[in-house]
Amino acid sequence: MQLINGCLHTIFNFTATSNDIRMKLSLLFAFLCCSISLFGQLKPQNGVIESEADFYALKHATIYVSPTKKLSNATILIKNNTIVKVGVLLKVPKNAVVIDCENKVILPSFIELYTNVGLPKVKAETWSSRPQYETSKEGAFYWNQAVHPEIDAAEHYVNNAKSTKPLMEKGFGFALSHQTDGIIRGQGALVSLGAEEAILDLENPSSYFSFEKGVSRQSYPSSLMGSIALMRQTLYDARWYASNHSKKNLSLEALNKLLSGNLYLKTRDKLDIIRAKKIADEFNLTFSYIGSGNEYEIVNELKDVKSTIVIPIDFPEAYDVKNPYVSRQIPLSDLKHWEMAPQNPSILLKNGIHIAISSENTKNKTVFWDNLRKAINHGLTIEQALNALTMSPAMAIGAEKQIGSLESGKLASFMVYDQDPFTTKGKVIESWSMGKRTVFERTNDAEIAGEYALTIADQQFSIKITGTPKKLKGELTYKTTTEGLLKDTTSPAIIELSDNDITIQFHIQKEGQKGSVNLRGKINTKFGVFEGSGFLPNGEWVKWAAVKSKKSKTIKPSKKSNSEIDSTNYAWLPNMAYGFERLPTTETIVIKNATIWTNEDQGIIDNGLIIIKKGKISFVGDMSHRPPALARVIDAKGKHVTSGIIDEHSHIAISKGVNESGQAISAEVSIAHVVNPDDINIYRQLSGGVTAAQLLHGSANPIGGQSALIKLKWGHSAEEMLIDQAPKFIKFALGENVKQSNWGINSGRFPQTRMGVEQIYYDGFIRAMAYANEWKAFKSGKITSPPRTDLELEVLTEILNSDRFISCHSYVQSEINMLMHVADSMGFTINTFTHILEGYKVADKMKAHGAGGSTFSDWWAYKYEVNDAIPYNASVMHEQGIVVAINSDDAEMGRRLNQEAAKSVKYGGMSEEDAWKLVTLNPAKLLHLDQRMGSVKVGKDADIVIWSHNPLSVLAKVNYTIIDGVVLFDHQKDIELRKRNLAERARIISKMLDKNKAGNPSRTFVKKKKGHYHCDTIGEELSTEENHH
Amino acid sequence: MRIIIQYIGVLILSTTAFAQDYSSKLLVNGYLHVGNGDVMETAVVGIVDGKISFVKNANAYTIKPSAWDTIIQLEGRHIYPGFIAPNSTLGLTEIDAVRATRDFDEVGTYNPHIRSQIAFNVESKVISTVRTNGVLISQATPRGGSISGSSSVMRLHGWNWEDATILNNDGIHLNWPLSISSGGWWAEPEPKSSNKAYTSQKSALYDFFNLAKAYSKTTKNDKFDIRLEAMRACFNGNKRVYIHADELQQLVDVVDFVNYFDLEYPVIVGGYDAHNITRLLSDAKIPVMLLRPHSLPQNEEDDIDMSYKLPYLLQQGGVQFCIQNEGDMEVMNARNIPFLAGTAMAYGLTEEQAVQAISLSAAEILGIDKEYGSVEKGKSATLFVSDGNALDMRSNQLFMGLIDGVFIPVSNMQYDLFKKYTKKYN
Repeated sequence: MQLINGCLHTIFNFTATSNDIRMKLSLLFAFLCCSISLFGQLKPQNGVIESEADFYALKHATIYVSPTKKLSNATILIKNNTIVKVGVLLKVPKNAVVIDCENKVILPSFIELYTNVGLPKVKAETWSSRPQYETSKEGAFYWNQAVHPEIDAAEHYVNNAKSTKPLMEKGFGFALSHQTDGIIRGQGALVSLGAEEAILDLENPSSYFSFEKGVSRQSYPSSLMGSIALMRQTLYDARWYASNHSKKNLSLEALNKLLSGNLYLKTRDKLDIIRAKKIADEFNLTFSYIGSGNEYEIVNELKDVKSTIVIPIDFPEAYDVKNPYVSRQIPLSDLKHWEMAPQNPSILLKNGIHIAISSENTKNKTVFWDNLRKAINHGLTIEQALNALTMSPAMAIGAEKQIGSLESGKLASFMVYDQDPFTTKGKVIESWSMGKRTVFERTNDAEIAGEYALTIADQQFSIKITGTPKKLKGELTYKTTTEGLLKDTTSPAIIELSDNDITIQFHIQKEGQKGSVNLRGKINTKFGVFEGSGFLPNGEWVKWAAVKSKKSKTIKPSKKSNSEIDSTNYAWLPNMAYGFERLPTTETIVIKNATIWTNEDQGIIDNGLIIIKKGKISFVGDMSHRPPALARVIDAKGKHVTSGIIDEHSHIAISKGVNESGQAISAEVSIAHVVNPDDINIYRQLSGGVTAAQLLHGSANPIGGQSALIKLKWGHSAEEMLIDQAPKFIKFALGENVKQSNWGINSGRFPQTRMGVEQIYYDGFIRAMAYANEWKAFKSGKITSPPRTDLELEVLTEILNSDRFISCHSYVQSEINMLMHVADSMGFTINTFTHILEGYKVADKMKAHGAGGSTFSDWWAYKYEVNDAIPYNASVMHEQGIVVAINSDDAEMGRRLNQEAAKSVKYGGMSEEDAWKLVTLNPAKLLHLDQRMGSVKVGKDADIVIWSHNPLSVLAKVNYTIIDGVVLFDHQKDIELRKRNLAERARIISKMLDKNKAGNPSRTFVKKKKGHYHCDTIGEELSTEENHH
Repeated sequence: MRIIIQYIGVLILSTTAFAQDYSSKLLVNGYLHVGNGDVMETAVVGIVDGKISFVKNANAYTIKPSAWDTIIQLEGRHIYPGFIAPNSTLGLTEIDAVRATRDFDEVGTYNPHIRSQIAFNVESKVISTVRTNGVLISQATPRGGSISGSSSVMRLHGWNWEDATILNNDGIHLNWPLSISSGGWWAEPEPKSSNKAYTSQKSALYDFFNLAKAYSKTTKNDKFDIRLEAMRACFNGNKRVYIHADELQQLVDVVDFVNYFDLEYPVIVGGYDAHNITRLLSDAKIPVMLLRPHSLPQNEEDDIDMSYKLPYLLQQGGVQFCIQNEGDMEVMNARNIPFLAGTAMAYGLTEEQAVQAISLSAAEILGIDKEYGSVEKGKSATLFVSDGNALDMRSNQLFMGLIDGVFIPVSNMQYDLFKKYTKKYN
């Protein structure tokens, strides 16, 4: 890194020669340069050049030279913009301007890595009811408006005090500012805040990424998974562009330059880090992360992240919990986060994760410092805190040789505090920005407070002064005689101090003197003496003096440590109600005396035995078998045991958007990228016996996104929930949702009719074939330049190659038949028609095509296309030999799919064993997981549910749900967990109440209405609207 | 479907027409769930001119075949009173997503004069599928606004709405202001927050009721106000006041409100938090139409079976209650009301308490219990017979049903489609 002005200074010095005249000239020249360099501008001067002192010396200060080095009574010596030396007993050159910093504390300037300071606000285009499908940015830029790597903050940065002051007051002297908008945001500029404006040159560019679309009004992407796909596609495009392009693209050109530098990815949640890490690995990149503050919750997963996580310290305020009617509504997860958030920095550090601290979202200096001290009270050391604000960010951006500490040779950028901000409420009183001083507040640290003997003319008073130099209060005491008795009278006095001038005003009520006394004078704090002149009530001009008689009791900073003892220093898994304190592990389990619904040839075994070992079923049979000695034994007498329920169609446990509705074909997006393991519905469905589910993309598009096949492993990470080597699936959809029939307006997106839907498919698959052929030609050497990687067509190619199965949302027979024609003509099969409410009309055709059906038990009448839906549908399709499942598509119904399966006994007279397979074996078959799941068979995954009754009975309740041999739901433990949740709530609420009582800032409770994703939910937020499925 | 075929064989009854009928009927040897908590294992039920003329034990009764137009042997099948769907838009809408079919939400804040009765579509195809699961009565209820309008209790069979009405304008529906409010639009809802306007919205409600109460004191009002006319009966006990509220703050305020206006027939609809104040509610004698037991817990740490067990909790707390079904796709879901009661049975209620929660208790709360809600002498013959336990999905199989003594069709358009396409494959 080099400074613009420093660099020039050196160059000009080299111009000196031995020739006398030229020497003189060049000296003058050098002198001029030197002066210019201090202004930091290469510009003509209007008038004479104003010089600065050769040296500045700040003496007698407490100096945090670096995170590990703190000096007392030390001096810092500065020349131009650079630190010459820092030390105790430092020899100060005679020509130095000396500034006394006694009692003051100097810290190196902090470095902010997440800010848009000094950059113009980005504005969204005016809203219009018509969606915008194409970019509105003209020129040779990327097709998506949320991708703008070409934006370089340096070109837009303006240094002005109004925008920089809030950061500087917090202690920041440098900021890597960037336009905080969009998915690929562009390059940041390292700027020096304060008087000495400069943009510093970084060896490697720093650029910013995020999963937030920002102000772009372009429809795509509309979801988190869409943002992820767009980022990946852009990175592929950049790679391809580097070697193959005929048309110039300024965005990709810029991106390729940025990729060699530091990349920052801004997250909104801890899970975004894991999501981004996958992208980084895919492209062999390294991201540093801008965190969100809840990283402590998954600290074990983050251990692999070697790069820096820049964490905010915008810890949540305590809620106002005085009203119990309101406080009972606060989710336990919020309460727990409130308690744990201040531990985030220290927990991350303890686990070996590199952090830097950002002041993002701390509303002002008070909040910033309060929170920083809070973090220190919760386990962060001062050294770590300082490091996270200085050296750590400096090293992250590769600027550690110039900034980050106050060692010789580094830039003279630091902040002077009136007292140590780490331990007291110290504040920034002046900043030094590359040698340039800005004074925020001239302090008067004179100790005025105390008791004084005040003499005005000959009269004696006593005056007690309290408060700080900024805000003083006085109380005057004097003797009066009332009815012959001498007694003390007091009256308040107004006291004002500016610099060394003091003004005192009070009223007296004394024999012969009634009225106002006004005094003005100088103070001499060293001796505790004031003196001056003023008026008495009678107008007499008099001299006065005051001598300190007693010092006020100085409140010494208490030695008592502020550090709070954290009764909780680890997060539950997940950190919310019903979370585990410790994850349960695989057990050897013996289930005896059970009625076992095997879903196999053995049918239902009465009084049977199941043995589970190492996560698999190792025995199924009668009680005569000898069980292992060391095992957990569950006596299932009178109970029914089945394999776990598998929900073919679910939208739970998904972060930020179930539909990527920006395009009619969105095959490139994947639900697997956005699985959210913290959804309480996982636990609720476990309690309903669900062990696995297909998390499907919504139904907004003819070709939606890829599915995630998960096991409902509550407490585990998203990665652990995803089923190993699961077959690949994708969502298709037909009918009203894809043609946006229920939008009320014609959005203009193709298709708006079933006719258009057909053409989307033909067009998409024909393009995919061409794409595959192009790659074939490249691989066989027929063409030399590689085709552009297209994530969407890659996935369509997988479908054509039967490497990816389709679950297609479908209702009426016309469209169902249409899609089968499309598939037949292209040589692939529709694996599953989901919903398929008119399947009973076309069961013969489905059978011929080879499609399965996953339907609702009895839903209808919610939209026009389900007018002919009948609850006998499952039975008819089943009779015709189709593999039929019953699914939920609904977080509530997902908890009682056993009841839904039972409805097929009622509607159409299906046998109980067949009905049970509708939610177990059949969905396993449809998902191609039946080799591992779906029945109670030796060798299969131990995904087992123990029911209180026949599982199809309305009385059936789940006693245990076991996944991979781990008991994840236990009805007795559940009762304990409820009690524990309440106790935990009460404990934290009472802690909050203490804060409320202490008058700490509090916020009113805001209840997030918990919506749920439905098939047709558009956008990132959960829907609370009616369900159109 | 063998049951229906058998039934048709016995009675030679058209599945769609109901003109042909018998004035006296005898149901023999059924397992009777009376609806009031009692059972009679071998019951005989006599029906004359649409009324239940007697209920007797089959073992102590000798049948005189000549005295009856028809005698139906139930062979141990289960007799239930017709189940009731209170607080429902059934008949007021046909297809949720098609605006043209939605007739339940009128413009305006105070709409007590809006009457659901006249929008009730007796030919609703959805009704035909609800009836066949044993739900024979509904309370057609408008939605929206602060006072949505007046509901009416309807029988789910008739030539027209006049014909189908059991009780017109049985009550007004008041949506209590939310103590927790929300905003934004559906894709980007703002987080809910404590409703700052709660107190003022509550006062506005008091103001309106004060106005209405004053208006009701005379019939010679200077100014005619159609809204206040519709409120009149609320203050003399001829019209119920259904107050929709879930959260604790709302519920305790509702109790105050009821006391302040001395309302004779208040009913809480919803009542998610009612289990916390059972004593208060039972002392105040305010019944609760509980929210759909098949709904998710409203808070993260609520018991996972909270909604399932609310009926039991209110029963234990001595609060009069029944089960209703408002919510997502409530119209088509009305046919699942028997299984809502079934779930309540799994989570604490006895079987007969569960039956009662969708029959007699609902009838009492609606004020139609003199005629409906149980199979007892003197009441309307509104009942059905199921092959097995009607609260269980597997065994709820309609054998026959009567509304006011008239046979209901045992089929519906869905069954017809089922038959039609089964034929296609055979």
